[in-house]
Amino acid sequence: MDFTLTTDQSALMSALDRLAKPFESKPIDFHGFALAGNGLERELTEGEYFDIAQIPELGPLTAAMAVERLAWLPCTVDTALSMLVRPQLPGDWPRPIAVVENGRPGRFVATAKTVILIDGDQASLAQVGPEDVEPVESLFAYPMGRLKRRPAATALSAEDAAKVRGWLRVALAAEASGLLQAAIASAGEHLSVRKQFGRPLGSFQALRHRMAECTVLAGGVRWLALKAAATGDEADAALAALHAQESATRIAYDLHQMLGAMGMTLEHPLHLWTYRLKALVSELGGRGGQALAVARHAFDA
Amino acid sequence: MDFQWDAEQQSFRDTVRSFLAANLPPDWEQQAHGPGSESQSAFSKKFCAALAQAGLLVPHWPRRWGGRDADAWTAFILAEEMWAAGEPRGGQYMNVNWIGPVLMRFGSEAQQDRYIPAIARGETIWCQGFSEPEAGSDLASLRTRAEKDGGHYRINGQKIWTSYAGHADTCFLLARTAPGKTGMSVFLVPMDTPGITVRQIPSVIGEGDIHEVFFDDVRVPESALLGAEGQAWEIARAALSLERVGIPRFALASRMLRRAVERLKQEGRYGHGAVEQSARAHAACEAARLYSYQIVDQRRHGTPTGPEASAARYATVMCERLVGEFVVEHLPDALSGGDPLLLAHHQRAIVAGIASGAAEIQLNLIATELLQLPREPR
Ligand SMILES: Cc1cc2nc3c(=O)[nH]c(=O)nc-3n(C[C@H](O)[C@H](O)[C@H](O)COP(=O)(O)OP(=O)(O)OC[C@H]3O[C@@H](n4cnc5c(N)ncnc54)[C@H](O)[C@@H]3O)c2cc1C
Repeated sequence: MDFTLTTDQSALMSALDRLAKPFESKPIDFHGFALAGNGLERELTEGEYFDIAQIPELGPLTAAMAVERLAWLPCTVDTALSMLVRPQLPGDWPRPIAVVENGRPGRFVATAKTVILIDGDQASLAQVGPEDVEPVESLFAYPMGRLKRRPAATALSAEDAAKVRGWLRVALAAEASGLLQAAIASAGEHLSVRKQFGRPLGSFQALRHRMAECTVLAGGVRWLALKAAATGDEADAALAALHAQESATRIAYDLHQMLGAMGMTLEHPLHLWTYRLKALVSELGGRGGQALAVARHAFDA
Repeated sequence: MDFQWDAEQQSFRDTVRSFLAANLPPDWEQQAHGPGSESQSAFSKKFCAALAQAGLLVPHWPRRWGGRDADAWTAFILAEEMWAAGEPRGGQYMNVNWIGPVLMRFGSEAQQDRYIPAIARGETIWCQGFSEPEAGSDLASLRTRAEKDGGHYRINGQKIWTSYAGHADTCFLLARTAPGKTGMSVFLVPMDTPGITVRQIPSVIGEGDIHEVFFDDVRVPESALLGAEGQAWEIARAALSLERVGIPRFALASRMLRRAVERLKQEGRYGHGAVEQSARAHAACEAARLYSYQIVDQRRHGTPTGPEASAARYATVMCERLVGEFVVEHLPDALSGGDPLLLAHHQRAIVAGIASGAAEIQLNLIATELLQLPREPR
């Protein structure tokens, strides 16, 4: 048990900080509901960051830290799926990666080269091209897309399907962890500046306590996500995803409530994190699905 | 970063478990577990003496005081196993967690020689005299006075909610020697000093747990003062920082959740609602566990624990709440004679957000220190 970063992990995180810097500014003009991180994707590809989980000194735990760090940015790339799930797929599948659950629109589908298809308990993999996919307008702050037709897919064995589902949960939790922290920080800035009744909103205890509770939940998500990435254990993955979806549901609501009307605008960036969280909340069966998975693993339900 | 126990840690945990298996009475889980009750206090003395013999009472203490300088993980693994077993050390957990270490840091040589060896042998019980009827969360407003009287102090006042006071040998007492925060001092007061009256407070949390303690013209020698006059705030902060993540409550909560689920399954009562709620409670327990481990890791590296300790504490309060509510809703029979251990857990769980500092005070600290939000106007 050791919670300090290794030298390799610290070095990687510093490199990511430098890489992320130019992408940190928050857009103030109208930018649609999502902000695709095309420039960021180029940088990550050039630096071979999508493959860090395969480097023995780094591994999935460090990849999860990277996913978390990059989720702080206002723009988005399929980092979680590419860094954490792709290395676990049987065989070599090209990125970008997307997931289509029960035929619904999914994140990054319109630009994906590989799609993970989830239909109930079944999972399969398909390579797709531009002719198979199309973008959809969405309120979620991810570029969303859907399949125009069902591509030829390779079914996964039950064992592989369970493994992929487990890593999808890790990816979800790691990304949610970064999004939660960024959203809380963004709301915290606003509450420190915005004054009503002659004092900053952040000095009212009703809001201070609510913010503190959000922070505690987000911290729990972080530790569960990192542990799940480190152990690769399906039970840990289910726990992390459950706590992530539970916390995201509550925190997305609370933060918007505390920001008042400003949080409803696209001028304020809060939605860039909360509307990614809301997309994650629905995945893999939502909280009920995660709870069932947790109970199966922990209590043999 | 590494989430696995190393071989030494695992083997230490096994040692503690074997000790528990060999030294707890066979009907341990059927007994009433009020940690301050007469029978528990008596048992804790036998049990802690045996722990001391086995080198398992104070392994994390320095050699000079009977320990082996083991690291913070050793202390915490020990605490997890003890608490998960229903805390057979009774009130003595407090001795080894913070009273001993605080005496080592602030005590005079005479005080150390008088009190520390008895703690390390497992044969003495302490109580913590901080809270007063008018001074709960606002501890600095306490009124119990200690007035200099020649080579003595004369103490007058009242403490409340004092755990283990009924069987304690010594009180770690906070009293006022001057006005204000800097006017508080710590006294080590033998409980058989004339003028001390202890009254048990009947409660829903178990027999012998909380008390009122009255001090009427209690005379103690100057040598009972710990550190200097006015040093109490600093000493209490040191004590509370050890206490805040002192009890691994998640360890018992998690075990009790499993126990309740097993029972529901056996009886065919583990339905849909129970499945979901148990999963949530389990996630909360594991979040609290990792949060606490983060603080233990800071201690191990000698990093001063910051506001994350408050976050860890709050996460623990949430996990106790969810497990407690799970049992009340799905296995209410446990509180009606069905399972003494689940009942004992319930009684401990309901105070998680109150004892050793209320949860809202932790939220205030998180808001100010972790989130850097503007302070409330005073
Ligand atoms: C089982 C148990 C054992 C205990 N053992 C001991 C012991 O051995 N020795 C000892 O000295 N004490 C002991 N205590 C007392 C404990 O330390 C106090 O209960 C605790 O400090 C809270 O004080 P209070 O109960 O007076 O609550 P109060 O301070 O009256 O608080 C009541 C409520 O108001 C909230 N509140 C108070 N101030 C604020 C604020 N500024 N902002 C927002 N909310 C606020 C609190 O969070 C709480 O929710 C024990 C308590 C329990 C339950």
